[in-house]
Amino acid sequence: MNDILLAFAAALAIGLPALATAWAQSRIGAAGAGTLAEKPELSGTIIILVAIPETMVILGFVVAVIILLGGQPG
Amino acid sequence: MIVRMSKIEVVGLRQDLEAVLETLWQDGHLHIDPSTVGFVDEKERGAIHSLLPDEKTVFEKLFLTDLRDKLDTLLGLLPNVKVRQSHFSPALLLDSISARIDGHLAQCAELDRRRAALVAEREGLGRYRALFAQLEGLLADLEKAPDLEYIGLSFEGQGGERLVRKALDTLIGDAYELFIDRQGDLGSCGLLVVEKSLAGQVRSRLAEKKVPELSLPGLDPELPFAGRLRLLAGREAALDQELADCVRQLEAFAGRWGPLYLASREWIKQRLSLLQASGMVFESTLCFFVYGWIPAADVEALRGVLAERFLGRVHLEVLAIRRSDTSRVPVLLKNPPLLRPFENFTRLLPLPAYSSYDPTPFIAFFFPLFFGMILGDAGYGLLLLLLGLLLQKKAGHRSRLLADAGAVLRFASLYAILFGLLYAEFFGDLPARFFNLHPILDRHTKILPLLYFALAVGGVHVLFGLGLGVVAAWRGQEHRKALAKGLHILLLFCAAFLVIASVGGHPELRSRPVLVAVAVLCPALLFTGGLLAPLELLKDFGNIVSYARIMAIGLTSVLLAYVANRLAGATGDVFLGLLVGALIHLMNMVIGVFSSTIHSIRLHYVEFFDKFLEFGGRHYQPLHKEDTANTSESGGTT
Repeated sequence: MNDILLAFAAALAIGLPALATAWAQSRIGAAGAGTLAEKPELSGTIIILVAIPETMVILGFVVAVIILLGGQPG
Repeated sequence: MIVRMSKIEVVGLRQDLEAVLETLWQDGHLHIDPSTVGFVDEKERGAIHSLLPDEKTVFEKLFLTDLRDKLDTLLGLLPNVKVRQSHFSPALLLDSISARIDGHLAQCAELDRRRAALVAEREGLGRYRALFAQLEGLLADLEKAPDLEYIGLSFEGQGGERLVRKALDTLIGDAYELFIDRQGDLGSCGLLVVEKSLAGQVRSRLAEKKVPELSLPGLDPELPFAGRLRLLAGREAALDQELADCVRQLEAFAGRWGPLYLASREWIKQRLSLLQASGMVFESTLCFFVYGWIPAADVEALRGVLAERFLGRVHLEVLAIRRSDTSRVPVLLKNPPLLRPFENFTRLLPLPAYSSYDPTPFIAFFFPLFFGMILGDAGYGLLLLLLGLLLQKKAGHRSRLLADAGAVLRFASLYAILFGLLYAEFFGDLPARFFNLHPILDRHTKILPLLYFALAVGGVHVLFGLGLGVVAAWRGQEHRKALAKGLHILLLFCAAFLVIASVGGHPELRSRPVLVAVAVLCPALLFTGGLLAPLELLKDFGNIVSYARIMAIGLTSVLLAYVANRLAGATGDVFLGLLVGALIHLMNMVIGVFSSTIHSIRLHYVEFFDKFLEFGGRHYQPLHKEDTANTSESGGTT
């Protein structure tokens, strides 16, 4: 039972930030595509803006790994 | 590297101005500053003012601008043919050119108008021909009925056909026959047969309903419908002949006059750029002053050229760059050929400020490293190395971007091979399967150690960025900012110390001095960095954790490679197994290249550059002689 709860917690830890990242990137990506159509020179800024929400899912991944492996070196 | 600039002032007698500008233009290194701010002291500004052009210069500028516009229009009308280089000097022929150009412009405009009309008619006929071909079968039985009128129609979808039937039913009841052919590629078309007496009102109603009638441009509308089809081929041939004749005349014109007009346009452009530069010059009662920026390495060469040509009458003075000047110094990036391909990543960002750093060398060092750490497969690396070499060889001088991509791929693939050896990965776990080779770092099972490794790499990268930020802030006389960044570094070290002590299983390291240091450094950070400084510190922690992606993306890549090998083995057939394995490995490699590139570059743009890079540099735009090579921007003639 404990393992199931751990697995569920890990899934939530990565799943929810993944959804949040996807939602944020979809909004930023759509706006960024519109911006690039008019100002292609802003491509660097758009890459940065699209990339920012990814940190959420990476943090979620780290938390999920720590939940599953209990902080013990694999 | 950002090229070191010198701030200079060129002073001379006013009668030498034009010759000096021409010398500067030929030298091609001076970026003229159109403002005296930073060059002339406040109290001396009253004695120096912008050079006002005399009447002759204004007239020349207007004349040349008008002539250039006419030449642009004329060359734009000419077809794309290669022409010889002109040996005439345009400067001597400007009056003749000016006198002739209106006539030539009218002649070419007429030829071009005729060509455009012929092309439009030819295209129209081609479309009609396709539609008439659809109707050919319907016409066979109807040619011999003299009391009937045949009207060709084209429809877009079923809606158009229904609309026509409804309109005709209301107008003439069932006194018509409509044949529809829906087999063509260009939509359905039909042949409407009505009595000649009803044809007029039927046509009016169809026009009201905006149903297009198939009529042949250039042919007699009274001609029987079937007869029109027979004339179509003849008309097309005649049009082709006229079109070829028209193009031949334009090509002949381009061959005869193109060289002179191209050379004239380039000469005028250069002359106008000189006149424009004279608008950025300043003058006193007797002298002119040119202010600007030049790469420090080119100062002495320019000084020598001026001394040789003007025998001491023109003086070049190097001025001190003040702190307030740094935002106005133009920025020129110059890197060794080995690093130059990585400038493409730098160009995606705004230009760095002169007092900041050129990020290219950092990208050149860290990007391939991160790429290799993420992809980490010797087999993929070898394939990418071959691809990179191939790209460089094939693209050559044709596409600079592709050649650069090949060079970047070559560097990155070398790191992928290196880390592939460390991870003992060659198309996944093939070395372990076939040769029982065990990796130094097993990405498949040692998840937490690799996570710590990625975070450690992130820590080093972010701390290096903060260190560069301290240096940049100190150089820019922003001592408080430099101190705040320094405190960030110390606090990050303390945090790392505490994390290693608690997570790394070394409780003996969690000593009181570190906690005391944190207690002292935090107020100091608030004092130097302001109230938002702790938030910045938290952001730094987040930035370091973000490097976990190096391990996370790498893990997905290695798991996919394992899946490829397992599936290949599960097929039980050598050839099928090879095919399945190759396909999945190919897919994994493509995904791996994209994700490794995007995430590596993102770690630079978001996490690393934020620590030290300042943007907002001015582009270095020297007054220089353009490489003409008889190319045209608007015209087709080359």
